[in-house]
Amino acid sequence: MTDQLVRTAPPTDPEAGAKRTAKRRRLRLTGLVILGWVAMFALWEYGSWWFGSRLLPRPIEVFQAGVEIVESGNFVTDFSASVLKTFAGFAVAAAVGAPIGYLMGRYNYWRAFFHDGVTIAGTIPAIVYAVMSLIVFGLSNLGPILAVALVSAPYIALNVAEGIRGVDKSLVTMSEAFGRTPQQIRREVLIPTIVPFVFAAIRMCFAVAWKVEALTEVFGGRNGVGFQIRTEYQLYDIAAVLAWMFLFIVFMLIIERLVLAKSEARLLAWRPQERSSAL
Amino acid sequence: MAVLTIKNLAKTFNVGTPRASRVLDDISFDVRGGTFVSIVGPSGCGKSTLLNIISGVEEHTSGDISLTSDSGGPARMGYVFQDPRLLPWRSVMKNMMYVQNDRSEATAGRCRKYLEMVGLTKNADFFPGQLSGGMQQRVGIARAFAVEPDLLLMDEPFSHLDAITARGLRAQLQDIWAQSKKTVVFVTHDVVEAVELSDRIIVLQPGGRIYEDITIDLPRPRRQTDPTVATLQAEVLGRLEAMKTLSRTPSSAAA
Repeated sequence: MTDQLVRTAPPTDPEAGAKRTAKRRRLRLTGLVILGWVAMFALWEYGSWWFGSRLLPRPIEVFQAGVEIVESGNFVTDFSASVLKTFAGFAVAAAVGAPIGYLMGRYNYWRAFFHDGVTIAGTIPAIVYAVMSLIVFGLSNLGPILAVALVSAPYIALNVAEGIRGVDKSLVTMSEAFGRTPQQIRREVLIPTIVPFVFAAIRMCFAVAWKVEALTEVFGGRNGVGFQIRTEYQLYDIAAVLAWMFLFIVFMLIIERLVLAKSEARLLAWRPQERSSAL
Repeated sequence: MAVLTIKNLAKTFNVGTPRASRVLDDISFDVRGGTFVSIVGPSGCGKSTLLNIISGVEEHTSGDISLTSDSGGPARMGYVFQDPRLLPWRSVMKNMMYVQNDRSEATAGRCRKYLEMVGLTKNADFFPGQLSGGMQQRVGIARAFAVEPDLLLMDEPFSHLDAITARGLRAQLQDIWAQSKKTVVFVTHDVVEAVELSDRIIVLQPGGRIYEDITIDLPRPRRQTDPTVATLQAEVLGRLEAMKTLSRTPSSAAA
């Protein structure tokens, strides 16, 4: 009986063992990621062999087309045009959506007034907004901006409303008890509460918005990535169409990862889970 | 001089409805400047309601309540809540400054002084999320003292902390209070805590009347380990036990 109470430590260092297991798991995961990429390219190569490279260019051809676009320098003006239009659309969406969201979150009457309309606006397919914007503005830069704004505004409104409803009432009571003015409470309690929600809305919208922006440009742009894709399509240069698309994807992922994610991490540094990534 | 004067104060919830219930009845007392007064009583005796009425969060039904300020201006109140109630997105120092009426260097210096008193000088730039619950509550206490209030209201500030942390904070509160000599109204259900901290204990009974007004005349600083403190704690506790059995008998409740 008594010898069972005496427990000796296991002969091997458990921490080293755990580290080895973790390392093995990491290696296996990396291997699968690489395997996934290889499979994707193999499928693509097979497809272009099956359809013929005129219909579906080989990866290497697309890569070369991409290098040409980058070397020609065209992409800078077109990319910046597309990005500017996307962010202009966001600005409009925030200017319209945030106040609506504020009213919806703050007052039940306004919530009743806006709720169904905003929900419907958020459910309308992006392509409808793109077409509507083209009808309104025709061939102009304003079309893509309006399309982005229309797609994003409902999300921003709903998220801001959710944020306002999540405000910690006890902090408002505390502020009032110490004699803070309504403006101070708005600036120090309400706005910091909704910032994470606005960021979540922007990041969620961003994924949709740049696709809508490019789509609207394809139909009615005068510059930008979508416009280039249409031009190449009219020349029947599929490799260039794909190259523009891939460059755009890479560019937008960089913006999402570096700009949005980083600024979010910095603004939300007070949250324990964000702190590590902000530093 | 009395900082707070309460006369024949009563509070009834749901006035004029069948669900009307009187939670405070004929409360009269005054609090002299620089004293530490505790309001104790079992839960439901209306002590939190009384605090809310003093703070102005709730209206009273009848009676008078007046607050005077040393400076002659409007009386300033400071609060310590049950939970710390700090802005999670502001540093400790910015939380202290948030409740101040001006941003001057003198005010910042005062905030730093009180942060030092609660031993958190090194944590001035921390976010509340980086502090333990006890440390956050110490910031809450420093914040309330730093507004230099005419009256400091504390609503069971240690009830959410573990016993060891609470004991440390009580000792710290005594020290700060001894240095600042603020007028404090302290609500608690813990008689032992009240005896340790207060000059005077106002005992509320169920139904919201004052049962007893006890003066605690013990030298400071008081420590829980001190036998005279322990004796008095036991005695006051005994009197409260008597009140409970008294209020349970129907005849006395009607009286």
